[in-house]
Amino acid sequence: MTTPMTTLQQTTRFTLFYATSQLRLRYRYTSLGFLWNFLEPAMFLVVLSVIFSVVNRMDISDYAVFLFAALVPWRYLEKIVNSSMESIVGGDWLIKRMSVSPMVLPMTRWIMASVEFVFSMVVVFLLFGFLKPTWTVHLVVLPLSVLPWSLFGLGLGLIAAVLFTFFRDVRPIVQMVLMLTFFSSPILFRPDIFGEGTLQSAIIQFHPMTYFSALFQKPVYFAQWPSPEDWVVSFLLSLLAMAAGITMMRRYSSRFYYYL
Amino acid sequence: MKSQPVFELDDIAVYFEKHAVSQRSLRHMLGTLTGRNGQEYFHALRDIRLTIGPGEHIGLIGRNGAGKSTLLRVLSRVITPREGHVYVRPDLHIVPLLELGIGFQPDLTGRENCFLAGLLMGYSESQIEARIDGIRTFSELGEYFDEPVKNYSSGMYARLAFALATDVEPEVLLIDEVFGVGDEFFMRKCVIRMQRLMESGRTTVLVSHNLDFLVMHCDRLIWLDQGRMMMDGEPAKVAAEYRGSGGQ
Repeated sequence: MTTPMTTLQQTTRFTLFYATSQLRLRYRYTSLGFLWNFLEPAMFLVVLSVIFSVVNRMDISDYAVFLFAALVPWRYLEKIVNSSMESIVGGDWLIKRMSVSPMVLPMTRWIMASVEFVFSMVVVFLLFGFLKPTWTVHLVVLPLSVLPWSLFGLGLGLIAAVLFTFFRDVRPIVQMVLMLTFFSSPILFRPDIFGEGTLQSAIIQFHPMTYFSALFQKPVYFAQWPSPEDWVVSFLLSLLAMAAGITMMRRYSSRFYYYL
Repeated sequence: MKSQPVFELDDIAVYFEKHAVSQRSLRHMLGTLTGRNGQEYFHALRDIRLTIGPGEHIGLIGRNGAGKSTLLRVLSRVITPREGHVYVRPDLHIVPLLELGIGFQPDLTGRENCFLAGLLMGYSESQIEARIDGIRTFSELGEYFDEPVKNYSSGMYARLAFALATDVEPEVLLIDEVFGVGDEFFMRKCVIRMQRLMESGRTTVLVSHNLDFLVMHCDRLIWLDQGRMMMDGEPAKVAAEYRGSGGQ
């Protein structure tokens, strides 16, 4: 008897198997294989920290710790949104041939991005071994800090996936919005470099990424706990994005076939 | 539950927007919203009313573009019709073999794709594992079984799909053109397997241009033309009418 629970179980099994096979596939034809999971984020972070410390004229060790704190979760979010966006259109081989909830495709991308994020965090902590002089108890909050990032990314990814299926113009728009969000957020620079009452400080105050970034920057760089405001704003936004994403998926998934 | 229909279709209509490529832009959407663009549709199916009971063998016939494959997609729940209501009995394993393909991911190997598609059909990994040797043997893929399916010829791809779809012994099998599978020798194997499945009481819906096979093995034939059901009934009678129409 097929019940909603067996359907859910079936969908979960499929999603996990598909995500695992895609992860294996990623490095199947490379010589270093699994090692790329560590090498890729390591190379990216080292290159970026060198470039930005020179541009910002900051002590490279100090700046690298600050930069990595929010950059790694940002890359995670960006990866979820970009890969989920194209997942439905790229999954026509499945949607046009089997009866399946289209939700499995963005969910698969979300799992893959989450696994990559875990590897990146391992790399970050290995680099912190050289860069970070003091380690504080505040770091224990990080597993919880990633939750709003992850949910926010998935919610935005679901919304982007639905929109991209119907309107292919959405891709460059989403990418531009992500870029604008990144460069206007306090991921690259400390928010206190702007004086009070300036336009920049007002932007930072109302920038959603300020609260998300604080969940990582405060425990990692400032040796502080994130404030209740950081938690409330980031969780609220992530739950809103998830609710919007799931609602759109459920409402429009029956029409996907006609647009693939 | 056992005597309950497997499928019930009530006033189904499936239509696609014409010029779909240009309609995928924001510009077109804005034009539609402001009333500048008129909507034009191509009707693939219309006014379809159909009931299929357990254990029935149904053949779908009609000229190219008649709507046979679309109807099969509606039955397999791949397409949600724009209008009408579809009931599909929820307690049965339904395996669709549409255009001789299953949802195979091109970069994965034949073996991996068997697991992937099998999970989607509602089987567990251990159930698929138990059948994997049988699928490999029947498909005659040999060492290619562990190669990415994107390297397969169309015949190899179809052989694997057919082997998987029939080896798992589904309760309901939906097949689009069974006679397009592989070479003549493999096709004979397929026909024998299909006959065995049909004799064992499975519900089958077949799309084919081989009228003789359908007349011999089906309980009912449904003749579709330009998306409409022209006739539904005793195979020999429907086939004679269809042939007599000269495809008009």
